[in-house]
Amino acid sequence: MSWLLQRVDDRLIHGQVVVAWGGRLHPARIWVVDERAASDPWEKDLLASAAPGAEVRVVTVATMAAAWRGEAEAPGGAFLLVRDLGVALTLVEAGAAIERLNLGGLHYAPGKTKVNEYIYLDEADRARARALLARGVALEVQDVPGARPEPLAALDPASAPA
Amino acid sequence: MSSGAKTGWGLVPRTPALLVTHSDLADALLRAAEKVYGAVEGVEVMSNEGLSREELEQAIGRRVADWHEGGLVLTDFWGGSCHLCGVAAARGHGDVVVVTGINLPLLLDYLHNRDEYGPLALADRLIRRGRDSIRLHHGQTA
Repeated sequence: MSWLLQRVDDRLIHGQVVVAWGGRLHPARIWVVDERAASDPWEKDLLASAAPGAEVRVVTVATMAAAWRGEAEAPGGAFLLVRDLGVALTLVEAGAAIERLNLGGLHYAPGKTKVNEYIYLDEADRARARALLARGVALEVQDVPGARPEPLAALDPASAPA
Repeated sequence: MSSGAKTGWGLVPRTPALLVTHSDLADALLRAAEKVYGAVEGVEVMSNEGLSREELEQAIGRRVADWHEGGLVLTDFWGGSCHLCGVAAARGHGDVVVVTGINLPLLLDYLHNRDEYGPLALADRLIRRGRDSIRLHHGQTA
């Protein structure tokens, strides 16, 4: 089976992922691609405990890229979680074939401007969004399954390629 | 005396609590508890609204930093950001423990017993009370 959800969310595993998306799509595995968490056994254990019913794998970009093809052939569906657009772009550049990327939560930080209630971007984010779009990755803003997905470029024209 | 034991009549400091939930549930729970219990002092509430994981963890961490005898972080559900950030913030703070699945009976039991138990024993008690409060009442009573 293939990917069920590929998502950018700075909270990584949390309620929307476990309860809303997980309750709807029932992933067998959740891949969290995050260099910092992957290097911290305590953080890995915490994330692994957060999603009962799914196997949580906390890995580096390099590990995820190497496992990409195998995941597509594994039984059961999977979620991919990254904390920002930079990790997503690095993963795509490393060979991950992502067609559609869900933007589920990028919260406010200094220098970021509001796109909607749960997406805030700065110029570096927008440059990465443009690079992903140029590589053919669809960027859809949607926090929970019951919300209507909206193209990022429609909500934030500055994120669209020139 | 162990912080996990029943302490008797105020022989050790009151076990503090922080309610951390989605939206304004924590505030609403505390207001509902006050309708039943009376005015409540010393319980803080927090929402995860609009906060990144790091911001929420830091906000919880600032509140539990002074709990030298431990305390309870009461959160809404397992696997949510309130739970995970609570656990991360409690790391290294001894008997600061996180309880998930808060409901009104659990909160009321906390208020009645926060001067009687240390954090670990109180957490055990609240988990039992919260579970026991969920019952099915079907049909006529005798």
